[in-house]
Amino acid sequence: MSSTTAPATQLADATGPAPVLSARHISKRFGGVQALDDVSLDLIPGEVHCLAGENGCGKSTLIKMISGAERPDSGEIEVDGIVHTRMNTTSAIQSGIQVIYQDFSLFGNLTVAENIVLTSAVAAKRKLYRVKDAREKAQAIVDELQLDLDLNADVENLSVADRQLTAICRALVSDARVIIMDEPTTALTHSEVEHLFTVVERLRARGVALVFVSHKLQEVLAISQRLTIMRSGRVVISGPSADFDRRSIARHMTGSDVEESRRVPDFDQTATPALEVRGLTLPGAFRDVSFQVGKGEILGVTGLLGSGRTELAESVFGVLPAKSGTIAIDGKPVRVRNIQDAVAAGIGYVPEDRLTQGLFLEKPIADNIIAASFNEHRNRWKLLDRKRIWGTITHFFDQLKIHAPHPNRAVRTLSGGNAQRVVLAKWLATDPKVLILNGPTVGVDVGSKAQILDLLRIQAERGMAVVIISDDVNELVACCHRVLVVAHGQITHELVADQVTEDSIQESMAV
Amino acid sequence: MKTEQAQPQAAENSLAAMNNRIGRVVTEAVGRTLRDRGVSRMLIALVVAFGFFAIMRPRIFLGPINLQNIMVAAPEVGVIAIAMMLAMLTGGIDLSLVSIANLSAVTMSTLFTAMAASNPAFGESMTVPIILIGLVVGAACGLLNGLLISLVGITPILATLATMQILNGLAVVWTGGKTLYGAPAALTTFGKTAIGPVPMLFIVFVLVAIVIATVVRSTALGRKLELQGANPVAARFSGIPSRSVLISSYTIGGLLAGLAGVLFLCRNPTASADYGASYVLLVIVIAVLGGTNPNGGFATVAGVVLATLTLQVVASGFTALRLSPYQYSIAQGVILVVVMILDTIQWSRPKWRKRGVTTDSASLQTTQVGTIKKDKEQE
Repeated sequence: MSSTTAPATQLADATGPAPVLSARHISKRFGGVQALDDVSLDLIPGEVHCLAGENGCGKSTLIKMISGAERPDSGEIEVDGIVHTRMNTTSAIQSGIQVIYQDFSLFGNLTVAENIVLTSAVAAKRKLYRVKDAREKAQAIVDELQLDLDLNADVENLSVADRQLTAICRALVSDARVIIMDEPTTALTHSEVEHLFTVVERLRARGVALVFVSHKLQEVLAISQRLTIMRSGRVVISGPSADFDRRSIARHMTGSDVEESRRVPDFDQTATPALEVRGLTLPGAFRDVSFQVGKGEILGVTGLLGSGRTELAESVFGVLPAKSGTIAIDGKPVRVRNIQDAVAAGIGYVPEDRLTQGLFLEKPIADNIIAASFNEHRNRWKLLDRKRIWGTITHFFDQLKIHAPHPNRAVRTLSGGNAQRVVLAKWLATDPKVLILNGPTVGVDVGSKAQILDLLRIQAERGMAVVIISDDVNELVACCHRVLVVAHGQITHELVADQVTEDSIQESMAV
Repeated sequence: MKTEQAQPQAAENSLAAMNNRIGRVVTEAVGRTLRDRGVSRMLIALVVAFGFFAIMRPRIFLGPINLQNIMVAAPEVGVIAIAMMLAMLTGGIDLSLVSIANLSAVTMSTLFTAMAASNPAFGESMTVPIILIGLVVGAACGLLNGLLISLVGITPILATLATMQILNGLAVVWTGGKTLYGAPAALTTFGKTAIGPVPMLFIVFVLVAIVIATVVRSTALGRKLELQGANPVAARFSGIPSRSVLISSYTIGGLLAGLAGVLFLCRNPTASADYGASYVLLVIVIAVLGGTNPNGGFATVAGVVLATLTLQVVASGFTALRLSPYQYSIAQGVILVVVMILDTIQWSRPKWRKRGVTTDSASLQTTQVGTIKKDKEQE
């Protein structure tokens, strides 16, 4: 075990204000896996405590213990001096512990005000519901946090950022003193993240203890006062955030130094481009967009949410067919009227929303890998060739190092990084000429992220044209030959070779 | 194991090698089928039900007439249940199947009567075309369902409810609500024929089951059906042509219902608009008992076949015990609820126990992965 000092650092900080919640010596086993091994955590009012670690390190399990969704094998949780050996979800909420999950668990068909108030009304077993009371209560919270939220809007029409704010307000209505946020920034743009951080500051001023579970190292450092890093079910290190930098966090998370520097493979710039887009227009989303991607080139596309970058990718892939303009693959014009046209032309698309658009969660990994290439695995009687299918599955299962006991496992059981590799495998199995990836490393841990980018470099070296649409500036710098910046449905900047730096991308996005 | 040891010696003898390969494919297919929960639990249910009635009324229940009756009555319900399974596999449902079957039977009976009126021999000689027309009527109705669901975008339950009403109404108006008598004698004879103790009707049922199982497991269409049912959005993003997949699924379902209409005529040379009214919901019960997930994405033909037989065994057992059809309908409901409860109990068991079980059943294929890996290393 590499972390011998962990418990010592943990206890050394007990001199400050009394923690609102302390988890002590929590252990939990799932079958043969020790998910948590003697983990302790103190949450102090007014502090943001960041919980970092790779997928499967046990941070989600720890949160489940604290929120009462699972119960520990041993250990205890103390809230306000009351010791619980096991929590259930109701007692956790009554103790003021609120978890905001990635999907926010909101009701899309209800208004913001209703979403904010209803759950606490239900928890208090109130039989009647008065619109006026509810509004007043919701308004009070929104005013206190100085938010610009339309209380009458239906939640399904809100942006991701506003939904998150709604979830935060809901937590506060139930008088939350501990708010745990799971990956709060992954779906937000740069400016939205900054707004969230100002809200977080106000929450701190209110004396709320916050827990951020995050993969994004930069944000971890920017927002948190205290940092706990977990690996393989144990706390590796815990201490004030000021003591860490990005490098050291990555090292503690992975247990080794992670290569994050820019590394782009060479490609033949004179060859016919694999993908050439001319004058592509989709009214309301983007207009007159032209660009090309060479064989073996990795092209980055970035821009704020709503800039039209996702719609652009979906047009090329046939989800939202463009109204005008041309698309050519290997110099030959193709008509993309629907997704089947795009797939037939040799375009693959790793969608933004992995869980609903990319994966068949209840189906085995094997079925997911083969999902886009059934037609290529038929024998002369038009029946599926089981042996060849199994060969393809095991090939990608091994090549992409999908970490699972067996390809027969349901994808639902996989972590973010592994699930993304399954989506990637699905498209590699079709042997595409152009692979478009929308947010390839969203919700993926640092180690997996580096491996996924490496996989993309390898595919590029083999002659595939790769398009990465991403918010993550590091990732673009790490592997893109060229970066296009999209704003208001048009390409505003093109950064080539040495121009691709974090600063230049940030700068051109800000305009 | 034996087949594998025998392999080197059989290498020279191609026939033996062929046998060997077929043997292995069958063993693998049977193993895969038994690993499915729907199949194994219905196998147990079938054995339990059969054992129970065999002990209660051995004289009547185990008599050759009763066993034959089970095998003669099961096919028509079973074929419709398989059609229902196909619809449910895509996450839909098809309420119109029985109406389609009746319309097909009514069409065939009317055609035959018209042809045989002038010249009975001519009517008989047209048996095969008449059957084909019956099947085409079924497929056409299924196609209509498919178009309404995929192109127009009506929810399956509403679209097929509408076609159920329309087709049933058509049949009633056409027949004037009366029962039609008349079917080619060849069909009736076929319905009474048996190979040894096994009636031809049952053999047809088994053949249909094998064909549909092959379609589901071993064709691109079948796997796409499954994925379409498991997650329509992801299916779309994987380039699976949802529309044509749905149309195919409902058309095949309609074709099977048309075949069920033929089976109706094989059992009795009569056709009416309201035959088998109780089948509409019964086939849903059968499909779900057979392990079909009503939300789509998961189903096995073997499970549905076993569920059909189980319910048929219970039905004839109730007759043997002199219980009424109403008591049988209570039993159907109870069986469904009990199986669903058993299901939830299994789901909420501690995870590790379930894991242990799956690892066991998966170990066979794990060794396969191992060998493939080795092969690669050698390259």
